[in-house]
Amino acid sequence: MIKLLNVSKQYTLEDEVFFALKKVSLEIGEGEFIGIVGPSGCGKSTLMHLIGLLDRPTEGQVKILGRDVFTLQDEERSKMRNQVIGFVFQQFNLLNKLTVLENVLLPTIYTRSKTDVNHQDKARALLQRFGIEKQINSYPNKISGGQQQRVAIARALINNPKIILADEPTGNLDSQSGKVILDLLGTLNKNDKITVIIVTHDKEVAGKTKRQIRLKDGEIV
Amino acid sequence: MTYFYFILKSALEDFRRNKVRTLLTSLGILIGVSSVVLLMAFGLGLKKYITDQFESLGANLLIIFPGKLIQNGQFRQGPGGLGGKRFDEKDVLKLTKIKTALYIVPAFTKTVEVSGGSHTETADIYATTNDIFAIRNLELDLGSYFTATDNDKRSKYAVLGPKIAEKLFGTKETALGRSVKIENQGFKVVGILKSKGGGGFGGPDLDSFAYIPYKTSYSFNPDKKFIAINIKVDRQDNIQSTKEQVKKIMLDRYSEDDFSVIEATEILNAVSSIFAIMNAVLVAIAAISLIVGGIGIMNIMYVSVVERTKEIGIRRAVGATRSDILYQFLIESVILSLVGGFLGLLISYLVVLLVQKFFPAYMNLESILIALGVSSLIGIVFGVFPARKASLLSPIDAIRYE
Ligand SMILES: Nc1ncnc2c1ncn2[C@@H]1O[C@H](COP(=O)(O)OP(=O)(O)OP(=O)(O)O)[C@@H](O)[C@H]1O
Ligand SMILES: [Mg+2]
Repeated sequence: MIKLLNVSKQYTLEDEVFFALKKVSLEIGEGEFIGIVGPSGCGKSTLMHLIGLLDRPTEGQVKILGRDVFTLQDEERSKMRNQVIGFVFQQFNLLNKLTVLENVLLPTIYTRSKTDVNHQDKARALLQRFGIEKQINSYPNKISGGQQQRVAIARALINNPKIILADEPTGNLDSQSGKVILDLLGTLNKNDKITVIIVTHDKEVAGKTKRQIRLKDGEIV
Repeated sequence: MTYFYFILKSALEDFRRNKVRTLLTSLGILIGVSSVVLLMAFGLGLKKYITDQFESLGANLLIIFPGKLIQNGQFRQGPGGLGGKRFDEKDVLKLTKIKTALYIVPAFTKTVEVSGGSHTETADIYATTNDIFAIRNLELDLGSYFTATDNDKRSKYAVLGPKIAEKLFGTKETALGRSVKIENQGFKVVGILKSKGGGGFGGPDLDSFAYIPYKTSYSFNPDKKFIAINIKVDRQDNIQSTKEQVKKIMLDRYSEDDFSVIEATEILNAVSSIFAIMNAVLVAIAAISLIVGGIGIMNIMYVSVVERTKEIGIRRAVGATRSDILYQFLIESVILSLVGGFLGLLISYLVVLLVQKFFPAYMNLESILIALGVSSLIGIVFGVFPARKASLLSPIDAIRYE
């Protein structure tokens, strides 16, 4: 489902070339529950951004659902972010000028293909499932961090993605809320058969995943 | 549908948060649009005024002037204007042979002091035949016109425009039957005309004319020459052929350069084209303020793109394409510009209403459409650079931006 072949990402800082990722090759199958772990600065987020089509590799190949994604047009990559991938960020990244419900619906306005799914109903159902139906018309800056992260997960799920990418999803939460989010991601993997990839440096969090990919200085160890 | 709702909500929310900034940005367009629309309104009003004035001259009218007045649809430049030979009764007699000419009405005009009651006023006397009233649609308010017999008898009768009558005698009623002194001769006021409006902007003040029989005027027009000959043609279709016949007859006695045969509409077109050029220049100058307003929008949109870099990143992460981002910012700048355009139109409309008492300004559908079209265009033209910048941001750089 996800295949990386000799993927490198380099940054040039003041004439010095620096590899954030060095010839990384890996394969992730359908329905896997993966933890990407390693010390700070080892390239975890960089890797996730490449898999999530937010960033381009300096060299190497990234294949998702069999498609060599960085040979595609921006339209096509945007479409994959819209329909195949769902993101959950450490800082939630919700739009404060839209309500909770509108934030969950945001990806659907960029969906070109017609579906007979009623997005409104679906968004409400998701929010209900995550126990935030009361805050449906609130604005994100008026609800708790744990609630915001659940809204973000609902947003990631609205278009039935095959992959969920979560970068330190519990990083900004207390342990109680963090556990709720983690359980939620686990359920999505187990019951909804979604491939879930969690980036974390927390051993406890990593322990919940079924397979860990360990990075050090931009290389898999 | 939801697409536009989301984009609109996002834009409006942004404007709401930056009320002062939005208002100031729109103000630039507001000023530009209202100055353009107002100048257009004044131009239109002026044009309508001139047209009305010429229409009041009467339809199917040819006028013979001395000299060359109009060439190639423009007023002639330099010398040779209203000079040349003047015409006489012999010309009038020869012209009466033209079958399609219903009336041949010669005229001698002079600006003189007219006294009556206890006042003295400057007025234009128009020495002519009684047919002038028919061909220029001059309706009678009080009394009677002078007649053809009055002309032959050199009767000292005058028909006054309402304005000069009121100036001299206070009211039209008291003026009727009284005596006025023109060039040291007493004239009896036999009739008062209804108002034709006009005057101002250098146009003829028809209501201040004093009409007298031309033969009576010979006492102070010893050459017995006319300044113009008005010819009423029977039908619109015959205007050109009549014009040719008039020219042929006139060429018997005069050379080509000594006279012009002009249709009233030709003068109208020449006058209008002068005003149209003047107006276009003014509107073009006003349009500069629109460009300045557009630059204001561009400036604010650049600021907005930077401020909302993270928002752009989030939208890209959930599937917005480059074009989605481009359109979003374009729509916003068009909204900004259109808001200014609408307010500018509104203000122009109020100003037009306000000045209509003193000036014949008016707005037509065209100027409204132009105003809205131009503001949308400005929104697009000046919004496209910031919007392009937003669309070209890489998703990861955008979402990481703090
Ligand atoms: N835009 C950039 N320009 C220059 N260097 C960068 C850029 N983004 C990341 N890096 C560098 O690449 C390396 C990997 O960064 P990355 O964010 O992937 O680390 P990480 O493993 O996610 O760390 P953390 O656990 O702290 O989030 C770091 O050394 C970082 O400084
Ligand atoms: Mg990171």
